[in-house]
Amino acid sequence: MTGRVQGVLRLGRHEFAPGKPVVMGIVNRTPDSFYRPGITWDEPAAMDRVHQVIAEGADIVDVGGVPAAPGAEVDVGEEIRRIAGFIAAVRGRYPDVLISADTFRHEVGREACAAGADLINDSWGGWDARLAEVAAEFGAGLVCSHTGGQQPRTRPFRVAYADVMADVLDQTLRLAGRAVQAGVDPERIVIDAAHDFGKNTWHSLEITRRLSEMTATGWAVLVSLSNKDFVGETLGVPVDERLTGTLAATAVCAWQGARIFRAHNVTQTRHVVDMVAAIRGDILPARVVRGLA
Amino acid sequence: MIISAALCPAPPLLARELTGADPVVPELRQACRDAAAGLLRGRPDVIVVVGAGEATATWDGGAGLDVSRFAPGIGQAVRDDPEGAPVLPLPLGLGARLLDQAGYAGPRVLQLVGGDEPAGRCAGLGAGIAGSARRVALLAMADGSARRGPRAPGYLDARSGPFDAEVERAVRDGDLDALLAIDEVLARELMATGRPAWQVLAGALQGTEPTTEISYRDDPFGVAYLVASLQPNHLRP
Repeated sequence: MTGRVQGVLRLGRHEFAPGKPVVMGIVNRTPDSFYRPGITWDEPAAMDRVHQVIAEGADIVDVGGVPAAPGAEVDVGEEIRRIAGFIAAVRGRYPDVLISADTFRHEVGREACAAGADLINDSWGGWDARLAEVAAEFGAGLVCSHTGGQQPRTRPFRVAYADVMADVLDQTLRLAGRAVQAGVDPERIVIDAAHDFGKNTWHSLEITRRLSEMTATGWAVLVSLSNKDFVGETLGVPVDERLTGTLAATAVCAWQGARIFRAHNVTQTRHVVDMVAAIRGDILPARVVRGLA
Repeated sequence: MIISAALCPAPPLLARELTGADPVVPELRQACRDAAAGLLRGRPDVIVVVGAGEATATWDGGAGLDVSRFAPGIGQAVRDDPEGAPVLPLPLGLGARLLDQAGYAGPRVLQLVGGDEPAGRCAGLGAGIAGSARRVALLAMADGSARRGPRAPGYLDARSGPFDAEVERAVRDGDLDALLAIDEVLARELMATGRPAWQVLAGALQGTEPTTEISYRDDPFGVAYLVASLQPNHLRP
């Protein structure tokens, strides 16, 4: 498959050339997310987490107020309360840092963009079609992800695909096209296979293996792999022992041309994606002296 | 006759693209650029670049530096000779680049001197270079010992300190006899690859009692780098 050439990726006022890896640090404003639940539920703790991920090399801070897994209902008003004011506070502290709002609802996306978000990370595959309109209205970016038709906050139940990557391409490219139709700048559109979303572990391994089919479309590809169940099931390890497996999957995706890496462990992810980018010849090594003196 | 000379080291890291995002040795590069640019001020008829390598040989200046051997993947492979002539040895390639950076487009000769050539042969080569045109400038690419510390490429050899100090003194004082007297065996043991080029330089400057300005001397990675400009004073016919 020859495919289209990757172009520039624009987020906020930033411009990322092809080959320049972008790390998105996760900041949850939730009491019940799967990884270290509740650790940044308090606003001061969440702001400390923002300082940390930026210091560790994140290009984007991804703020979310609703866990992906089913659980206590978080309505629109509550989700806005959790993230909009916080995004405004982050914007105030860091005028130039990129902020992403992890939401599947257009009302929340609107408040997040008004507060300063540069990107709407719609993990639930365009369940709310009006999110694209909000992104267009604010000149924001949009992540178009694959869920296999799952409703937000549901777990996969006996999901099956004739060809999971074909389904991923079908849904994400359709959503990207819809976003362009809605007026979103194509250079601000990102596609995401959404590991674990509407997929069992075999499916997530397959899309990891075949990620180059997504990058060959020319759309910028985001991967969200961090400490997920497919890593845990593959290695037989609990959530607090998944970093190594996460980084292995990260390297494989980076090698195949993924451009945005959503991660809890920012330092390690930064190291992996920069190392792979240097191996690919996309970025320069930091400092080379060995054997050259 | 020789109208000016410059001395620069020839480590691969002199090529900016080889050190990655960090320039690592900007002061060294600047000193080398300035020394090479100084050669142009006397309006030479020809600039000869001399460096040590496998065997004595001459290139007439068409080829450039090929960094791809040091950094495959960053491109810039120079294959401009369709006949497949060998690419320039490192010191000549770096010297040629310094002339390019100085904006020199006049005649140039790239002279490799064999690493095993004895001092007398090196001096003779230098004298020949000095007499090769009415106004000759010489750029000698030469490194001191690569054994200047435990982290040096050749590990520490305590003799490297006095050795390089004596080379520096000889260059500073214009003591050409001392340069010609450098022990070839000791130089090889100390991985001082510049020895033949120093001696070509000394041969080219014989009888001129040069005045020297040293603009850089350091060993940031355990190899002695010396940058100097040498101006002949008493020209003998």
